[in-house]
Amino acid sequence: MPLVKIIAKNFMDMVASLTARDLDRLYENPFICEAILRSLPPLAKKYVMQMFYIDGAIPAKMMEEWVLPDGFTKHRVAIDRLVQLRLFSEEKKKETTYRLNSTFQSNLRKHLIYGGALPREPMPSGITARLPTLEDLEAYAIGQWECFLLQLISSTQAERPTNFSSSMMKVFQRGLLSRRDKEAPRLTESGFQFLLMDTNAQLWYIVREYISNSQERGINQADLISFLLELSFHVAGEGRKENWFIPTKLATNLSMSLTDSSARKEGFIVVETNFRMYAYSTSKLHCEILRLFSKVEYQLPNLIVGAITKESLYNAFENGITAEQIISFLQQNAHPRVADRMPSVPENVCDQIRLWESDLNRVEMTPAHYYDEFPSRDVFEAACDYARDQSGLLWEDPKKMRLVVKAEIHMHMREFLRGQNK
Amino acid sequence: MASAPSKLYSDDVSLVVVLLDTNPFFWSSSSLSFSQFLTHVLAFFNAILTLNQLNQVVVIATGYNSCDYVYDSSSTGNQSVGNGRMPSLCATLLQNLEEFMNKDEQLGKQEPEGRIACSLLSGSLSMALCYIQRVFRSGLLHPQPRILCLQGSPDGPEQYVAIMNAIFSAQRSMVPIDSCYLGAQNSAFLQQASYITGGVHHKPQQLDGLFQYLLTIFGTDLHSRNFLQLPKPVGVDFRASCFCHKNTIDMGYICSVCLSIYCKHLKKCSTCGSVFGQAQTQSDEPSATNRKRKTTDA
Repeated sequence: MPLVKIIAKNFMDMVASLTARDLDRLYENPFICEAILRSLPPLAKKYVMQMFYIDGAIPAKMMEEWVLPDGFTKHRVAIDRLVQLRLFSEEKKKETTYRLNSTFQSNLRKHLIYGGALPREPMPSGITARLPTLEDLEAYAIGQWECFLLQLISSTQAERPTNFSSSMMKVFQRGLLSRRDKEAPRLTESGFQFLLMDTNAQLWYIVREYISNSQERGINQADLISFLLELSFHVAGEGRKENWFIPTKLATNLSMSLTDSSARKEGFIVVETNFRMYAYSTSKLHCEILRLFSKVEYQLPNLIVGAITKESLYNAFENGITAEQIISFLQQNAHPRVADRMPSVPENVCDQIRLWESDLNRVEMTPAHYYDEFPSRDVFEAACDYARDQSGLLWEDPKKMRLVVKAEIHMHMREFLRGQNK
Repeated sequence: MASAPSKLYSDDVSLVVVLLDTNPFFWSSSSLSFSQFLTHVLAFFNAILTLNQLNQVVVIATGYNSCDYVYDSSSTGNQSVGNGRMPSLCATLLQNLEEFMNKDEQLGKQEPEGRIACSLLSGSLSMALCYIQRVFRSGLLHPQPRILCLQGSPDGPEQYVAIMNAIFSAQRSMVPIDSCYLGAQNSAFLQQASYITGGVHHKPQQLDGLFQYLLTIFGTDLHSRNFLQLPKPVGVDFRASCFCHKNTIDMGYICSVCLSIYCKHLKKCSTCGSVFGQAQTQSDEPSATNRKRKTTDA
């Protein structure tokens, strides 16, 4: 499952874990209903749709008849999700039946007949003329985001002073940075993985952290979630009268990415079969990210030239990045020129990255004890069987009567052998 | 039949091109009135657009004399036209539909005697396929397209060739054609279309519940179709129509070069121009030999 889906699914799990009262209150808002409908797995959406105009309860057996045998696991997943979100209420009299949540149902019926409406009134046109253009907004959003990510990588490199509040920064960096007493903060393993994720996944992660921390600061989780979901229905670039905020593409893409898996931005990396990498980008952030796993050789005004070498990859692996993440990062950010080619990253490069990763797994170490000089073959055999029963036998040599067992059962072996000697 | 693989999109994004039958000769004699039909259909469109932010609906009206695009949900000029009560989808669609029907009437041909006139299904199928081709060429990120045919008028045998060509090109591009037949008899063309391209054909028993049929059967996206039970084809009518008179025939003559179908023996194929040899006169010899063989075996 793409990473965005996992992280977004976690967000929906958080929604599902709200109390029953909060959830029912959430469903009074038609936009939340729509957002939650869109976030369901496809089969669940179908079931909800089919139940739109059915007031009574449907027996579970009848629902199972709708599904082909292949789809049975998906069916179960869908039903569980619907029950978890309190969209389906389960009644168990003679047989299990499901009924659609009535507030949800009436809100969506209205939506079907009257269509979607804008969340708030649009601003009067006099002010609209003074709003920044879409391009300015996008540039601003991307700039701020990069600034934030650069802060994560190295607190010294960010040029512009950020106006994120410091408590926010602490919240976000909690899982991603580790602060050791005397050293500067270093990125943790999940920090590295975070950097290589795509933008929507990163946004979801932060939103989730923010919401889980909101409890401490006294803000109601349900209100936050409903605001964020509603935010995604605004059109990028249109301001709203009351509160003077203008959503950017980042926000409006959020709800789309509840089930979507791509950030539709242009790629910039070309990887060649001789392990050289050319990244057409001017951003410092990209340079830093590439430095994580490759050796950057030249940096030109619009081009970063690097090579993927064994040392640079070993470095990355030690920091906790996996080969799959590197490869999927390269594939997702492939330059449009090579993106059409199948595969966008040459196979020999992908294979070599995976081989180098498995290099690190060549040797596996287990703490163990070595037994030698058994008095007789019977004692040796008995010891082997005992170790095997305890599932601690690692190696035996019947000819020379030698035995290696795991360290955990060493004490038990000693007791056993003492017992044997008597 | 596997549907076209779509790259980089979540599984259930769909582009539905709806071919709406607006043949006035059919609707004036149908038990379901056109306005009731439209209420079901508009609610269905809203449902599709609600399911996923990236879903798209394109409506092509199939008229008696012409076909035209009536609505495209992805075009930005869809702001509501002044009327505060009706949402923009309905307003734009109804307005365009009205203009289309006025134009269609003005192109008027005489209604043929006896049977209900047929609508230009071949025209709208071709327009739908052209639109879908354009979507395919717009880049890697496109939704999975399918065609939904809401048809009530009977089949016009004169359109056989054009419709079969459209069906085969849909099969080639892996675009399923779903069809919902609202008329009295059966439509052989639609059954064949859905069978060949891997779509779903259904004739609703109760037209009052059309919305529920549309949602349950035709609202399923292509990904979920692998997991849900949908109506299976039962006894598809595969009869062809001859190329010369456009009559539906069971047995006929076929040109061995281009496979065109004729009901009578001709000297030369009208499609490819190849000359046919001497006709084999119907002699009893082959059947007599068979009979002889049968009796010896017995």
